[in-house]
Amino acid sequence: MTSVTSTAAPAPLPYTSERHLLAWQWLVEEAHLFDRQRYTDWLGLLCEDIHYQMPVRVTTAKNAGFDRLAGMSHFDEDLYSLRKRVARFETEHAWTEDPPSRLRHYVSNVRTFATDDPAELRVESYVLVFRSRGDVRESALLSAGRVDVLREAGDGGLRLADRMIEVDESVLRMQNLGIFL
Amino acid sequence: MVNLAELTRDIRSGMVPAYVYNDADLFTLERDHLFARSWVFLAHESEIPSPGDYVVRRIVDDSFIVVRDEQGVVRVLFNMCLHRGMQLCRAELGNSSHFRCPYHGWSYKNDGRLIGLPFHGDAYGGDRGLVKKEQRLLPAPAVDSYRGLVFASLDPDVVPLRDYLGDFTFYLDFYLNQSPDGIELRGPQRWRIKSNWKIGAENFCGDSYHTPQTHTSVVEVGLFAEPKANKRKEGALYFAGRGGGTTYKLPPGTFEEKLRYVGYPDEMITRMRQNWTPEQQRVVAEDGFMVSAATAFPNLSFVHNWPQINADGLIRPFISLRQWQPVSESETEVLSWYAVDANAPDYYKEESYKAYLMCFGSSGMFEQDDVENWVSITSTAKGAMARRLLLNSRMGLGLDDDVISQKPPSFSGPGRAYVGYGEHNQRSWLSLWSQHLGYSGDPAEHSPVPAGDAAGEGDR
Ligand code: FES
Ligand SMILES: [Fe+2]
Repeated sequence: MTSVTSTAAPAPLPYTSERHLLAWQWLVEEAHLFDRQRYTDWLGLLCEDIHYQMPVRVTTAKNAGFDRLAGMSHFDEDLYSLRKRVARFETEHAWTEDPPSRLRHYVSNVRTFATDDPAELRVESYVLVFRSRGDVRESALLSAGRVDVLREAGDGGLRLADRMIEVDESVLRMQNLGIFL
Repeated sequence: MVNLAELTRDIRSGMVPAYVYNDADLFTLERDHLFARSWVFLAHESEIPSPGDYVVRRIVDDSFIVVRDEQGVVRVLFNMCLHRGMQLCRAELGNSSHFRCPYHGWSYKNDGRLIGLPFHGDAYGGDRGLVKKEQRLLPAPAVDSYRGLVFASLDPDVVPLRDYLGDFTFYLDFYLNQSPDGIELRGPQRWRIKSNWKIGAENFCGDSYHTPQTHTSVVEVGLFAEPKANKRKEGALYFAGRGGGTTYKLPPGTFEEKLRYVGYPDEMITRMRQNWTPEQQRVVAEDGFMVSAATAFPNLSFVHNWPQINADGLIRPFISLRQWQPVSESETEVLSWYAVDANAPDYYKEESYKAYLMCFGSSGMFEQDDVENWVSITSTAKGAMARRLLLNSRMGLGLDDDVISQKPPSFSGPGRAYVGYGEHNQRSWLSLWSQHLGYSGDPAEHSPVPAGDAAGEGDR
């Protein structure tokens, strides 16, 4: 198992290229939906065959050759399970988000790569999630890298086909993953 | 300071002082008495299948390397170098034939023996100053296992693990013994919550009452049908030995039909038929109960649910083990594993894993709502008013301590069982807890739990 960010890749598209700018804009708009908890709208940005994954990171010796747990993730989702998660938030009884969290997704370090498939882009980004619940409770942070595959849809827009989230903590300091990133 | 006599009296009467969920003095007592004398779960053998495989786990503040040595023996070694006290292994898991201390370079074989130290002759005059072969990492005072679950105790005189667990093993086997090869674990997911560790342990051992309310949303979206209020209250609550749990009532049918309803494929059902005792089979087939959540005292819990995992309505059960690892009186580290019958077909293992991820663990839809509640209880229990409040945990008892709860029409398992809602199990768990705080002699000899709550009471 290799680290997501160390995957050998060609140079990213120039930061001025139109395809890079479109991908970057897509990620910022997605973060906007997350922070407003407009999850049903977010589902509309996903491909039917979406694979949304966040492996468990572990602390291992330098020569171990892996830093993810085999066969265990925090998220390992298809469209069905993502829809269920969103449907749950849309009920009036998802207590964990009532009152709702105040969320801020900071997206940065966006790098866009062309792939063998002209309709797909590989997009790397960093995300830092700030989450505040209640009035006096300590806030929580979650830092991660992401590697996405964005696919051009018929309408000319981009859809998320694959997301691999590389979380930076082995023991999460957030009470649950009642959020997306 | 805690008044243990008063605390114990209150708890036996089913009135729980609210401060117990966030109190520094009690946490010290828990650490020095309860966790220093109990059997505490560390790892499952399937996590370290090959020689040299290790995981690093804790009992409160003490870090242990749980390692399979070159002879295949599982060792539990205190993770501290014998020389100047460096933390020897700083990874969470891995494979190694030996551990070398980064400070001065003492190195130990994976069975704990010191095999090398730099400049043995120059620094110590060889064996004249330090006899190398007599040195080994400090082992845990007691190590024992049950069906691959490795436990350790800081008390060298602790009773054997089987005697400690007692008749609770009858129920553990529904999770751990579905086939001759037992279970295999994946994980754990680890995360920290601002909750007292007791709340999760108590919840899993008997709180079926919270399910229709806390988990409404999961039922509403059609993920899991069973928690509906009318279904949940038909389940039995059992307590036996050092553990208790909740069950769901299954629809009428044979042993095979009931397990198919829960989502097990026929080949797994055939092995359960061969592997479970006649009494265990009767709990399912005739009494009609299927185990769900459970807790082995003090802090190892189990869960078994059967959600719908795809749009075609496929139902698959999953098993999770979880540990409520105390960090402080107001913080707990949750370690949550996915567990599955080692002989299950590959397609089943993947589908059941999917079921686990949707329901429990760091992102699980059940777990999310549970933790929100527990964090809230913990912060509310901190203040002066919580010291004046006795929480009502008397469900199932009348005002005269008479038992209102009904026994199941038939129940083939050991210990005590009631149908419907009740807090008998939480009272039993808390009574065990209070007995372990002021330890003197064998906790089993202490006076029993409230009327109607004694494990062992009731029809066999
Ligand atoms: S502390 Fe480990 S070798 Fe000195
Ligand atoms: Fe729950």
